[in-house]
Amino acid sequence: MGWNKQYTSRFFGSKTVLFSIFAGLCFYSLATLWSVTEGISGPYNVVSSGIPKILFWKQLTWVLIGWFIAVAAYKFPLQLLEETAPVLYLVMFLVLVALLFFAPEVAGARRWFFIGPVSVQPSEFAKIVLILMLARLFSRDGNMGNKVIPVAISFVISGLFVALILNEPDLGTSLVIVAIWVMMVFWYGLSGILLVCVSTPVLSAIFSFYSENVIQQPWPWAAFILLLIGFLYFARFGLLESSLLLFSNILTGIGASFFWDKLKLYQQERILTFFEPGRDMFGAGYQAYQSKVAIGSGGLFGTGFLNGTQKGLAFLPERETDFIFSVVGEELGFVGAMLLITMFLILIISGLNIAKNARKPFSSMLAIGIVAFFGFHVVVNISITSGLLPVTGLPLPFMSYGGSHILVSSLMIGLLANVGSRTFEN
Amino acid sequence: MADKQIIKVRIVRFFIIISFLVVTANLFRLQILQNEYYKNKSLDNRQISKRVNAPRGRIFDRDGIVLADNQFTSDITVANKCLTIGGPDSTLTRLIDWFSLDEQKVYESLLRQQKSNRSRLTVIYNASMSELITVKEKSREIPLASVQSEARRRYIFGDMFAHIVGYVGEVRQSEIDLEPENPIYLSRDNIGRYGVEATFEEELRGQPGQYLYEVDSSGRVVGHKSVEWYPVLPGQDVQLTMSIDLQRSLSELMAERQGCAVAIDVNSGDLLAAVSNPGFDPNMFVSGISTLEWDRLMSNPGHPFMNRLIQGTYPPGSPYKIITSLCALSSGSVTRSTSFKPCTGSYYYGDRSFGCWNRSGHGDVNHTAALVHSCDVFYYQAGLTLSLDSLHDTANILGLGQLTGIPLNSEVAGNIPTTQWYDSHFGKNKWTRGVILNNAIGQGEILATPLQMAVMTARVASGNAVLSPRLTVSEPLPPYESLPFSSDDIKWIRTAMTKVVDIGTGTKAKLSEINVAGKTGTAQTPHGEDHAWFVCFAPAEKPEIALVVLLEHAGHGGTVCAPVAANWLTYYFDWKKDRKAAK
Repeated sequence: MGWNKQYTSRFFGSKTVLFSIFAGLCFYSLATLWSVTEGISGPYNVVSSGIPKILFWKQLTWVLIGWFIAVAAYKFPLQLLEETAPVLYLVMFLVLVALLFFAPEVAGARRWFFIGPVSVQPSEFAKIVLILMLARLFSRDGNMGNKVIPVAISFVISGLFVALILNEPDLGTSLVIVAIWVMMVFWYGLSGILLVCVSTPVLSAIFSFYSENVIQQPWPWAAFILLLIGFLYFARFGLLESSLLLFSNILTGIGASFFWDKLKLYQQERILTFFEPGRDMFGAGYQAYQSKVAIGSGGLFGTGFLNGTQKGLAFLPERETDFIFSVVGEELGFVGAMLLITMFLILIISGLNIAKNARKPFSSMLAIGIVAFFGFHVVVNISITSGLLPVTGLPLPFMSYGGSHILVSSLMIGLLANVGSRTFEN
Repeated sequence: MADKQIIKVRIVRFFIIISFLVVTANLFRLQILQNEYYKNKSLDNRQISKRVNAPRGRIFDRDGIVLADNQFTSDITVANKCLTIGGPDSTLTRLIDWFSLDEQKVYESLLRQQKSNRSRLTVIYNASMSELITVKEKSREIPLASVQSEARRRYIFGDMFAHIVGYVGEVRQSEIDLEPENPIYLSRDNIGRYGVEATFEEELRGQPGQYLYEVDSSGRVVGHKSVEWYPVLPGQDVQLTMSIDLQRSLSELMAERQGCAVAIDVNSGDLLAAVSNPGFDPNMFVSGISTLEWDRLMSNPGHPFMNRLIQGTYPPGSPYKIITSLCALSSGSVTRSTSFKPCTGSYYYGDRSFGCWNRSGHGDVNHTAALVHSCDVFYYQAGLTLSLDSLHDTANILGLGQLTGIPLNSEVAGNIPTTQWYDSHFGKNKWTRGVILNNAIGQGEILATPLQMAVMTARVASGNAVLSPRLTVSEPLPPYESLPFSSDDIKWIRTAMTKVVDIGTGTKAKLSEINVAGKTGTAQTPHGEDHAWFVCFAPAEKPEIALVVLLEHAGHGGTVCAPVAANWLTYYFDWKKDRKAAK
């Protein structure tokens, strides 16, 4: 390791970089939200179904609170977090259960508790709680012994959250949790065999979905199962392992169709729309279409701050939350979008660097969980807004309007800096 | 162990880099490569163009009295997207409910309109005041509805000018499709279908303007930003040479009679009055004609949609003798005082007998008396001295057998047969020279339109060989070119025609103060009673006006047509006097 590389390591992960990025993102977020909440006023004083200015001030408040939380998390003893993780998990589990029973239904979903004027979205906090819990689980017996049992336990732990959140319903958050789990399991050190164990059920589910809902013929899934049997035989898997694996594959395959049925009609519509974009221009395809128009019309330098028409004339739906990236794309263009993406990339690479160099397994697992969180959110959100993935509700960290997710994202940055400071600065 | 960790880091880093590269590449594609495309899509989103129809030019009579203009009516329209929004609270459902409209008909009509790219769809045409008030008052409940005012064509004198002014109708899809790139018309636009409305379509229609508005996602006009527009160019007015007074008078005289009458100024060619009966009210085409009404008109045996003046071809009968006389005089085969064998009521050519209209015979008649009393036997013999083709040429010189060129569609040329015509229609050597006997008296295969007969009369009256009817004041006055006949011959024929009215077959056309020159006609037709003709000009000494009256299956021209001519000419000269006095 040359000096240069070491220097790079220290750069990507230093609290200066992390907090600079944090500040940059907060600034970007507030500026964009200011633009989104600017109405258009013409000679008739028509204010185009604008987003109320109060959202900007609320967001500012959340960002300020977020800074306190980040700084607090930066100083917080990680040891304590590791020890209290099961308690946090239990509390979160109860909250999520309570949510399903006691939360009021808003737009067909039970996602929020309302405390006075503030709405809290517990599933946002469930992400960090799960990361802590999995980090603790995967750091307990180090690298010794059988890894199958912790992975199996982690499957149950994460699965419970996924099941609960899916019932709210909130597909986006469920997927984030799956992504975090996959990443942390991988980081935990899955052998090739385990990789097969983890990945084949997912593939099985995808093939099953494809067979049943896209081409409506059984052969892709059947071929996949036959292939799997062949693989298990030639790779000389034990009979017990083979049976278990085959069983889990068939289970997820069948489960996929249950899962599909479980999806709300609009979610199914969105996924199918993704396969056939022209399917419904004014229904499920509308958001995706308008978002692409917003981004595409931005060009290299954008239409200029405050000047986006897709935004200003309210053609872009959800422009203050899930589709805020499209506003950046429209008003600040490719250059502005790349600046934002670069900030996220630095954040994620820093996280990876911290996870790689962390001295304790718990810290490393914590950092990689946070990387998974940011990575998934950023890549999937931008992919959705630019038409690469089907539409599902997923905020862009720091950018999207929303208290809970700003607080959680701030917390994650604080924790990441915390781990980083212990790694590089002692 | 360390190796494993490094591989893991590499894998994760690889995935991160790949993901970000994909995202970046996709943004590059959208924002840089497809920027123009999405810019246009963004424009499509927020700009709606509104077409402002050009007011159609008006049509005036020669004195500036309006014959056709535009009347503003208000329609209740809805935004295009109404068709995709259903439910009990939707704008469309409410409108249907409030005004108890036929839901199915409304949807059918809207779908039809939608196909033709209209930005707004009309639910109620020509809405009543109470409907308009309801829409305005409850506009909050029907955000997608609005009132649009539109100019509609109005024919002020109804059927009086039906065959001249014509009418407009809704443009057909096939006509819109003619210019797919730069459509002149949009669905529901008017297009001239008949008469002056059709021939002067280009002048009358003008050019619609285009306004671009910026709207927000709910379709509200935001307004102030970059509103481009193309100005409306109103259609040009068209002023006819016709006179409402003269037309009204002629219409009244012709009322209820099947046939037509036309008067032209012999010096300027101005068409002053023109009636073709039966007619129709062009206003019914404006608001859309019902199937029932249409069927009734179409099945009318009088063919109300035929403009008899230019589309009706009739055997000209005796007025054609003017041509035979002039042809014979100019060929020298007959002089002004020639007499043939006396008329005994019939004439034998070969073994075929050709009758005179006067069965008891005219006795010994010279050329002048033959024209005055319309002796057929004289003209049979005069015809035998002529060739078919020279007769044809003379007819041509006087405007028969060819279009008059009046700017109205579907004019027909009639038929003045030549040798070649008989050869091709009857076969070579399958016809005899006997046909010239019928030709000489304007029967047989000769066909002419009443307007052509008026041109013939006017040319004889004025001596101008190139006189043709003028319909609009913007057309140039005809030049003067003398008829290729000797002036004595022309003078003689005018005198003879004066005698027709004075002492001959046309005495019923006599006026108290002004001498009229005319020629009666009773043309045989294969179907039913004879057509009655009267062609005349006046004053005989210094002709101003030529008039032709044709009454179908009405009998003797001198009996039925001459009185119509006398009455109208009286009116005409009074009218002239009044105008002079007014000046």
